[in-house]
Amino acid sequence: MKLEIKNVTKTFREKIAVNNFSMKLKPGECVGLIGPNGAGKSTLIKVIADIIDPQAGEVLLNGKKISKMKREIGYLPQYPNFFHWMTAKETLTFMGQLSGLQKKELTISIPEILTKVGLKGEENSKVGTFSGGMKQRLGIAQALLHKPSLIIMDEPVSALDPIGRREVLNLIEEIKKDTTILLSTHILGDAEEICERFVIIKNGTKIEDTTITELLNRNSKNKIYVEITAKDQEWIDVVKKLPFVEEIEVIGHKVKIIVENIDKNKNVILENALEHEVDIVKFEIHNDTLEEIFLKLVVGNE
Amino acid sequence: MNKFIVLLKKEFVQMLRDLKVIWLPIVFIFLGITQPIVTYYLPSILGALGGGQGITIDPSMTAQKGGEVLAATLGSQFDQLGFMILVISMMGIIQTDKANGMLAFILTRPVTVISYIAGKIVSNYLIAAFSVTIGYFVSYLYVNYLFTDVSFSHMITALLFYLVWVLFIVSFTTMISTIFNSQGIIALISIVFLIGCRIIVGLSPVIDFVNSASMSKHAMEVLISGSVNSKAIDNALVTLFWIVLILFVINYWIANKKVNHE
Repeated sequence: MKLEIKNVTKTFREKIAVNNFSMKLKPGECVGLIGPNGAGKSTLIKVIADIIDPQAGEVLLNGKKISKMKREIGYLPQYPNFFHWMTAKETLTFMGQLSGLQKKELTISIPEILTKVGLKGEENSKVGTFSGGMKQRLGIAQALLHKPSLIIMDEPVSALDPIGRREVLNLIEEIKKDTTILLSTHILGDAEEICERFVIIKNGTKIEDTTITELLNRNSKNKIYVEITAKDQEWIDVVKKLPFVEEIEVIGHKVKIIVENIDKNKNVILENALEHEVDIVKFEIHNDTLEEIFLKLVVGNE
Repeated sequence: MNKFIVLLKKEFVQMLRDLKVIWLPIVFIFLGITQPIVTYYLPSILGALGGGQGITIDPSMTAQKGGEVLAATLGSQFDQLGFMILVISMMGIIQTDKANGMLAFILTRPVTVISYIAGKIVSNYLIAAFSVTIGYFVSYLYVNYLFTDVSFSHMITALLFYLVWVLFIVSFTTMISTIFNSQGIIALISIVFLIGCRIIVGLSPVIDFVNSASMSKHAMEVLISGSVNSKAIDNALVTLFWIVLILFVINYWIANKKVNHE
């Protein structure tokens, strides 16, 4: 289903958590909501899940208010908490019935979904005895149980160990085929793996809405990465004066040089370095990793 | 309606697992027994322990009528220790769900706030009413055995009046539990307010009219004098009005998402 977020603003007293945020999700799309801690991801997710009301703006699912479409939403909170005295099966029965499923359907679908999330054999264990990863999987199970057309996940893998993360990511990869997914995370690698599209949020404002390839292309500026020794620091000033050099960034002994045209300029710089008898440790053409792009976007325009 | 049943069932299962269905009635049975037993045996206890010298025991004390003793069960046991235990057993009724996020979680499902509140109040009222009734019946049996007989119809009328007051206690505690976030504060406010209500009963007819705790007094009057105060029905209606108002406040508070304060 089509999800539309229109000019959502949410403030807590003076603090603006989400600022005039708009976004559209096409049916079947998987979107990663990325931002540093405190960027307003969770607040936005809660607004979309209709847990908190925004001060302004609205969230529409297929053109209808989200509060009227709860049947179609599967929600996984950041720290899924269940009644500790219920067993896994009871929890799913309870949540399923609240979503309007009949007991008959549930007797078939609950064992299925428990197998899918890897909790087979734990049907009758109390949720109170579950580890964090198991709770997370149970959380995913309850979000999928009523076959919603939109699944909203708040930090689905951040609290898990590498093995649990791997499993949950594979699980999401699998359910991706059938539903629209919106998930938030502060770990770019996770989003990179499962989502085609990213929305980067910072201080409650959307600062980027793009696909991975676009982001990489746009940021693969012409960059040369030279590592030199301490005695050749003066050479940096020489390079700065070259006409085709646009920008220079120095981190310790590493120099990042952005030039007009990498194909033409890279050899000139190398020649120039040899001319000045620079002790080159490393000379390479460099593309920013997603991590770097992310950091630049989030920390950069402070 | 369907969702309400699901939530109601969940509450009952929880009470069963917490053993609340066992201990709460037992508490009230003890409270119910205490009044007739202590009233009956106090003179002999004092006589045996106090050496009997210089103590005169008013003979009218042991000669109390059954109705008076049963009324004292309501007034001195249930209205003091009894309802404090009731409040403390219910202080987390909504607060716990708020604190661990279950309330928000449940409401992401197609569930109306009304069915959530109804599930909470109905289940907790049923267990409270059940406990009070059991304790009261046991007290009634002891009173009939040790003192004069109380007519069955008076006993039932008084119980029904008293249960209206219990409904008010349950709803009020639920409201406080919805609004405040600390169990201590919830228990304190509920107990102080409800005891306050109970203490001021009888001060002025106007206050009595709007005071739900008067229902407890009307119940005692039925047992002592054997006649129903004409104001009792009015008072019951006013109490029901308060309860509706309380439900409205709870609904407003949750539906407007005031519970998500972080």
